Amino acid sequence: MASSNLMVGLEIGTSKICVVVGEGKPDGTLKILGVGQAPSRGVRKGEIVDFETAMKCVHEAVVDAEEKSDIMIRSVYLAITGGHIQSFNNRGCVLLPEDRDEIDEQDVEDVRVNAREVSIPSQNAFLHSIIQSYHIDGQDGVLSPVGMLGQKLEADFHIIHGMRSRIQNSIRCVKELPLDVEDVVFAPFAAAQVVLTQHQKNLGALVIDVGGGTTDYILYNDGAVRQSGVLAVGGDHITNDISMGLRIPMTRAEKLKIEEGSTVLGNCLPGETVLLKDDSGFAGKEIERETLNTIIHMRLRESFELLKKRLEDEPFLNYLGEGIFITGGCSQLNGIDNLAEEVFEIPARVCHAQTMSGLTSAFENPQFSAAIGLIKYAQAVQADRPARGGIRGLVGKLLGRMR
Amino acid sequence: MIQLSRNYSLPERKEDDLAIKIVGVGGAGANALDRIVLDGMEHAEMIALNTDVQSLAGSVATCKLQIGRGVTRGLGTGGDPELGFNAAQESAEEICETLRGARMVFICAGLGGGTGSGAAPRIAELAREHGSLVLAFATLPFVFEGKRRCRQAIEALQELQRVADAVICFENDRMGDIVLPKAGIHQAFAVADTTISQSVRAIINVVRRPGLIRIGFDELLAALRSQNSRCLFGYGESDSDNRAHEALALALRNPLMDRGKMLSDAQAVLVQIAGGPGMTLTEVEIVMQELNRHVEDHTQILFGTSVDNKMGNRLSVTLISSLSADGAVQAAPQMIPRLKPKPTAVEIPPATASFSGPIEIEAPTPPNVVEFANPQPPPAVEPVEEEFFAAEEKNLPMAEIAPPPSAPAAVRKEKKPLVRREPQPAAQPEPVKTAPPKKEKYVQARQEVMQFEPITRGRFEKSEPTIVEGQDLDVPTFLRKNVRMK
Repeated sequence: MASSNLMVGLEIGTSKICVVVGEGKPDGTLKILGVGQAPSRGVRKGEIVDFETAMKCVHEAVVDAEEKSDIMIRSVYLAITGGHIQSFNNRGCVLLPEDRDEIDEQDVEDVRVNAREVSIPSQNAFLHSIIQSYHIDGQDGVLSPVGMLGQKLEADFHIIHGMRSRIQNSIRCVKELPLDVEDVVFAPFAAAQVVLTQHQKNLGALVIDVGGGTTDYILYNDGAVRQSGVLAVGGDHITNDISMGLRIPMTRAEKLKIEEGSTVLGNCLPGETVLLKDDSGFAGKEIERETLNTIIHMRLRESFELLKKRLEDEPFLNYLGEGIFITGGCSQLNGIDNLAEEVFEIPARVCHAQTMSGLTSAFENPQFSAAIGLIKYAQAVQADRPARGGIRGLVGKLLGRMR
Repeated sequence: MIQLSRNYSLPERKEDDLAIKIVGVGGAGANALDRIVLDGMEHAEMIALNTDVQSLAGSVATCKLQIGRGVTRGLGTGGDPELGFNAAQESAEEICETLRGARMVFICAGLGGGTGSGAAPRIAELAREHGSLVLAFATLPFVFEGKRRCRQAIEALQELQRVADAVICFENDRMGDIVLPKAGIHQAFAVADTTISQSVRAIINVVRRPGLIRIGFDELLAALRSQNSRCLFGYGESDSDNRAHEALALALRNPLMDRGKMLSDAQAVLVQIAGGPGMTLTEVEIVMQELNRHVEDHTQILFGTSVDNKMGNRLSVTLISSLSADGAVQAAPQMIPRLKPKPTAVEIPPATASFSGPIEIEAPTPPNVVEFANPQPPPAVEPVEEEFFAAEEKNLPMAEIAPPPSAPAAVRKEKKPLVRREPQPAAQPEPVKTAPPKKEKYVQARQEVMQFEPITRGRFEKSEPTIVEGQDLDVPTFLRKNVRMK
């Protein structure tokens, strides 16, 4: 690493690859130095399907970022997503030895390991185990147990895991460049770091990152992650639907979606059309606006309904004080917040990374939420590192498992 | 007592006792009738009438009647309306027997040929004499069929307009407009049949459907009032999100509508909006608002709406109106009283002689016509209604003539009560009865919705499928939910 307070986030997305270079200031704020990006090829639904092509694209993006920020990139934090990622909540428990009643760091580490002692499919690896709260001898809601007295330490964790081979593929894609991977982070978890403030996490919020290939979500309540996951449906699907529904090429469909698309129905004049201008090799075509919007609306509504069904397995959806935050490339679609509000019956808004300085154009774009979130995550991890040796070990262990 | 009052409050009881007969006259009439049968029509009796035995044998109608056995000997008329008229005249008794008891008779005929042009007006006349309301659906020939045919058609049309309560006229040339230039001639002719089938069904639905705001004969007659006129007719159906707008647009796109431009000259327009239980007031409002843009302020709008569970989530708009032919508005009402007595006095004797019952029914017919021409529709309707009831009570058992499929020339008479209590031996061509088509019709409607290219996953064809709750999410949502896109 060139400098301990320089951090790089890399997200290999379905539609674009994005590298964000940031600098952690001593006062805890972040400054974005540069953003490099390249259109992504060889990635479907958030997972690499064409290794060589994807690698080239990552290389392009990294070079772009190096040029813009004037920094040599050696290591990155990598965002991971994909339909294979799953999550659950579990409680770990350790009993202190008879001769000791003060909880120390080792106990906290033990309880974390203990919470992971659950069976996940053999080909899966743990990505995160995020602490929700500790309980000491039945006392609930303990935030930091180190130094407290007790005999029995329990802890609730939100555990995220995914298929080892696919996570390794992404890591290898970066390692071949060659760059070091400091850590892998579940993409919506990273995005939530910059989209939500601590206050919002406490009150309860749902972040939905509608990306190119996947729709990722993470739900916070009482300051802790309660639910998270991935629905392998994203903007690509909308484009594909438009392409098939209107019988136009994918590239035209993508452009049409971005320039004219809306999720609002019944807002067009009857018979209102959009004219697709003819380009080289493509005859012009008139498209009824309502048809276009219907296709988009149906796809997004379905995705939201599926998400809602998943989230309703647990009761947290009813206790969101802050509502829904939609981010990611597809959140720029007109009316998506109203649609989410309609489906979830909870206030929803479109948002981008907050509390940053530096390149405003970068963090004000919801496309970069996850990549910027990586930096915030990195900053948090690095800040913890000197204080808690355990984390370092954990990261090492985690990577060890994956390798 | 309480039960009695409850029974009175049942609103849907009335719709069933409306006896409707659809008569296809001549070859073109038979084609149109076949289309109606195939599209499914359970509320009416189908009768094919022709001089040509061969063509009659090929028809799928439930009841077939050969006319003019002596005049043509089972052959066609060779395009001679005179022969057609004589044939109808010869078989007048059988025709009357067949049509007896109907409150509403639809006559479908292709004008220009012999049987259609010659027999149709006579049949219309006979039907009216028996107190039925007669609506004629006539197709005019293509211009390329020759000037003589066209002249014959026009003459027959005038005759029909004189004797029928209303004539809805389809110009084949206009039909051609909505068929692609490249389409086969079959298709061009089929369009006319389909349009007739659609109109017949729409009109039957309009008068039969239990309505929230009901449309009866009176409104229908008011809309079709002006004699010697062109009928405007449009029907549209849609089940999309924007179904109100689309259904109206489709109705206005009908070849008889000329995109709604014709409506601006109409005196009265009948609109019926029918939909499933999900139909909203807003949708009705949308249709009416848009329609108002097409009509003048002074135009009388006869509005009806009905909820029919069979419609599912479809919404249909039916527009019926008539347009006075240029300059004929004044002439028409005066001409009718003078012309009408002529046929009753001169031509009817053979028919009246053979009938004992319907004499008192005949009497009120001529004044009736005069009243139709009168621009006040409500008083005109009451005698008609009474007349129907009278006719129905009298003619409960009615005769139906069905030739055995093997030897169509040998026509056999069969007495059959209107209420089918006793099971009849399967002498009639039962297999083509109307019960199965009813289902077929709705299946057809569904299939239309399903008309997509084979289900494909587009760019995700080769990637790992995302299956959630048994659904492949890579397939476009609108395909999986069967939403129709244009």
